[in-house]
Amino acid sequence: MSVKSKIFSAMKQIAEEQKVALPPLEDDLPLNDTGFDSLALAILVARLEDELGIDPFTVAEDAAFPSTLGEFVRAYENVPA
Amino acid sequence: MRNILVTGGSRGIGLAIARRLAASGDYNVVAVARRESGELAAAIREAQRCLHFRACDLAATDAIPAFAKSVRDKFGAIYGLVNNAGIGTDGLLATMSNSQIEALIRLNVLSPIILTKYVARHMMADGVGRIVNISSIVASTGYSGLSVYAASKAAVTGFTRSLAREVGKVGITVNAIAPGFIDTELTSSLDDQGRRRITGRSALRRLPEADDVASMVEYLLGEGGRNITGTVLTVDAGNTA
Repeated sequence: MSVKSKIFSAMKQIAEEQKVALPPLEDDLPLNDTGFDSLALAILVARLEDELGIDPFTVAEDAAFPSTLGEFVRAYENVPA
Repeated sequence: MRNILVTGGSRGIGLAIARRLAASGDYNVVAVARRESGELAAAIREAQRCLHFRACDLAATDAIPAFAKSVRDKFGAIYGLVNNAGIGTDGLLATMSNSQIEALIRLNVLSPIILTKYVARHMMADGVGRIVNISSIVASTGYSGLSVYAASKAAVTGFTRSLAREVGKVGITVNAIAPGFIDTELTSSLDDQGRRRITGRSALRRLPEADDVASMVEYLLGEGGRNITGTVLTVDAGNTA
């Protein structure tokens, strides 16, 4: 499974747990429009760290959190596992 | 068995907490300290695989993410975190060195906040967890010579209340315990006269003991603590009553 599909499946699972209606997952979807609040995003990052063994947002010094789903996925793809 | 991480677990209150939780039979306890003390080694032998030691200098905050991960990899999900490690450098503010002030704030404030970040994230992912921060009655009273220490302990209670709001929604409780003066190495600089004065000021005319704090931790981690969050529990034999 690709990093992208792992991220999407984690998002779908969290959406179900948090009772969030997830819109179609496209690269240019703003994270704000996913229906995920900051807590749900924090849970997503923690689950992905468990699954992928990386957390791209605490490694970086100048960690600006991505604004779209595509940027979020690329942050994971660009970190050497 | 649920995993509990206890920082500063080799001496004093932390050791009492580690011992009591391990003896309960309900928990697998990981005591964290820079070095394993003889007392902790003895407690580990006695506890028969319910108590473990992991070395970590929590003042080196850059190493905390990898440390948190190594504990999870070795023992599995962490159910409880007890932020107990701290230093109690005393002295008048006017003559304390800046490096002492920085070291105290680093270990007593920055380190527990960063460790909590890396442990709580996974509690959030798991939807369960208990966090107990060891503060002090000095956070809300006053004691000459402890201004920096008091500031660090007040920071802990502020951290506790707001974090409780942040993570309550996912089933994690966050509380602080404010012990009164307890005889440990950390408080060894207080002389007999000071000790007598504190005892005389306490409603119960005695000092609380490390194990009293350990009992409170056990309570907060257990079934009784499930609806307690965002609060400070005082264990001081009535010193601030």
